[in-house]
Amino acid sequence: MKRYILLIIGLAITTVYLFPLYWMYLTAFKDGTEIFQYPPSFWPRNPQWNFLEVWKGRDMGRYIWNSLIIAIGVTFLVTILGTGCAYVLARVRNIWMDMALFAILMMQVLPSSLMVTPIFVAFNQLGLLASPRFAVILAQAAKMLPLYIVLCRATFVQVPRELEDAALVDGSSRIGAFFNIMLPLARNGILITSVLIFLQSFGEYVYARSLIAKNELQTATVGLQTFMGPNANDWNGIMTYAAIYVTPILVIFMLLQRRIVSGLTAGALK
Amino acid sequence: MQGIIRTIRDGSGFDILLLSLALIYLVTFSAFPIIYNIIMSLQTVDMFTIASFNRPFVGLQNYYDILSQPIASAVFWNTVKFVVLSIVFQLSIGFGLALFFQQDFPGASYLRGLFLAGWIMPALVVGAIWKWLLAGDFGVINYILMSSGVTEDRIFWLSNPDVALYAVIIANVWLGIPFNMLLLSVGLASIPRDVYEAAELDGAGAFERFRSITLPLMRAQLGAVISLGVIFTLQQFDLIAALTQGGPADSSNVAQYWSWQLSFQTYEISLGSAVSVLMILFVIVVAAVYVRSTRHEHSY
Repeated sequence: MKRYILLIIGLAITTVYLFPLYWMYLTAFKDGTEIFQYPPSFWPRNPQWNFLEVWKGRDMGRYIWNSLIIAIGVTFLVTILGTGCAYVLARVRNIWMDMALFAILMMQVLPSSLMVTPIFVAFNQLGLLASPRFAVILAQAAKMLPLYIVLCRATFVQVPRELEDAALVDGSSRIGAFFNIMLPLARNGILITSVLIFLQSFGEYVYARSLIAKNELQTATVGLQTFMGPNANDWNGIMTYAAIYVTPILVIFMLLQRRIVSGLTAGALK
Repeated sequence: MQGIIRTIRDGSGFDILLLSLALIYLVTFSAFPIIYNIIMSLQTVDMFTIASFNRPFVGLQNYYDILSQPIASAVFWNTVKFVVLSIVFQLSIGFGLALFFQQDFPGASYLRGLFLAGWIMPALVVGAIWKWLLAGDFGVINYILMSSGVTEDRIFWLSNPDVALYAVIIANVWLGIPFNMLLLSVGLASIPRDVYEAAELDGAGAFERFRSITLPLMRAQLGAVISLGVIFTLQQFDLIAALTQGGPADSSNVAQYWSWQLSFQTYEISLGSAVSVLMILFVIVVAAVYVRSTRHEHSY
């Protein structure tokens, strides 16, 4: 009996917490007059289907495409650079590795909004701002790389050392052992961490806003920010935009929730 | 040459190669910008000198200019309030939820997982949603507060300078609860059951068990979560950009947003980098505390 009372309380708390999400979807389905009605309604009286209209009207395809390019670029770069590093940090234990890990942990905490000033000036001098999406990829990859290394390292730590040693005894080279034994065994962790990096970069805002000058190269976050402008009152449009943008993120997250959670906790605290 | 190839194939050269790939990248795009930032904070950098490699040095003038600006102390206290209040509420609500979902009932871990939806969403979108929830005339929060009798009049959350900062804090607490809850749940799960059972046999009540078992055993975990909270709160930019943009009249402006405003809105880039240098130093100190507290947990 007590367990079911707890379940009901649990459901109630979760409902309260997720109310903002419900309100986003609800507003997206309401029509233009219903959102300004007082008292507000908690279920759409006259459900609208504005998604296509907003998608076309706000040119969302282009914004989402730019966000995708940046997220894919960051994920690719981070995976290539970080996987080997995570493996070495998990495998070798000495004072140098401890120092390297410490330095990496320190770089994980640098706020983008503070790093963007020197990055903007330096990229400007180097001419990198001529290809602004690439510039955002470079900057965001530097932000995400430490997180990727820390989480992936936790995966490699869990792979038994004996398997690699056995391959080396059998005459495999270090390179062979890494690609044939270690990578396949750590595949799940690498995949989950990459998804996490992808989702985080898909919602990137500071670098895109600061480094990209042309509107047609901007990301979905900046598109939403422009939509919200100073005197915005098209709230069902804005919430429709937000719903289109976050639904894929939420779906991917819900599908992989358990694995992301376990990877995240292993990396953050070990 | 052969030797190099052999060590990369079979020796420690392989480790060094893999490690240096990532480290060189990080040095180029993270460590170098920090150093460059320090240099810029000692120079005059504005729209005219931004592309030049040979800018005049002005010593500590930028730091002096920053600290003598009238809004500096307001921004400082806003930042302190933003960080302290966000963490107090994130931590206590997150801890409460972690304790609640620790109990044995059907669907507990599934419901806990749903909370993370708030954490995975882009902060700018979360800001947009809260801007609509908190809207003065048609916002649902005002409706709920007024119909339940908490306030008589509408609160203009985002345009009233007295409450704008608190509006941002509320949204930030919402965003931070899942992460706090998750990390604290992991800590709670690692406390052995039999410690509680033994205490129960000795006649310790629920509160007594919490005070004398849970809190002491969670000390390292709480330290880690608090320092991570400080770090994440100081990274928070998107929410402020979506909700108030530091306004009205800088009443909700915090250091990390101010630094960006100086650099990208008024183009006083050297002032922006001076603020940035000070904040980065602070974040690094907090991060060192965090790393130490996780190490501590390791040995124990």
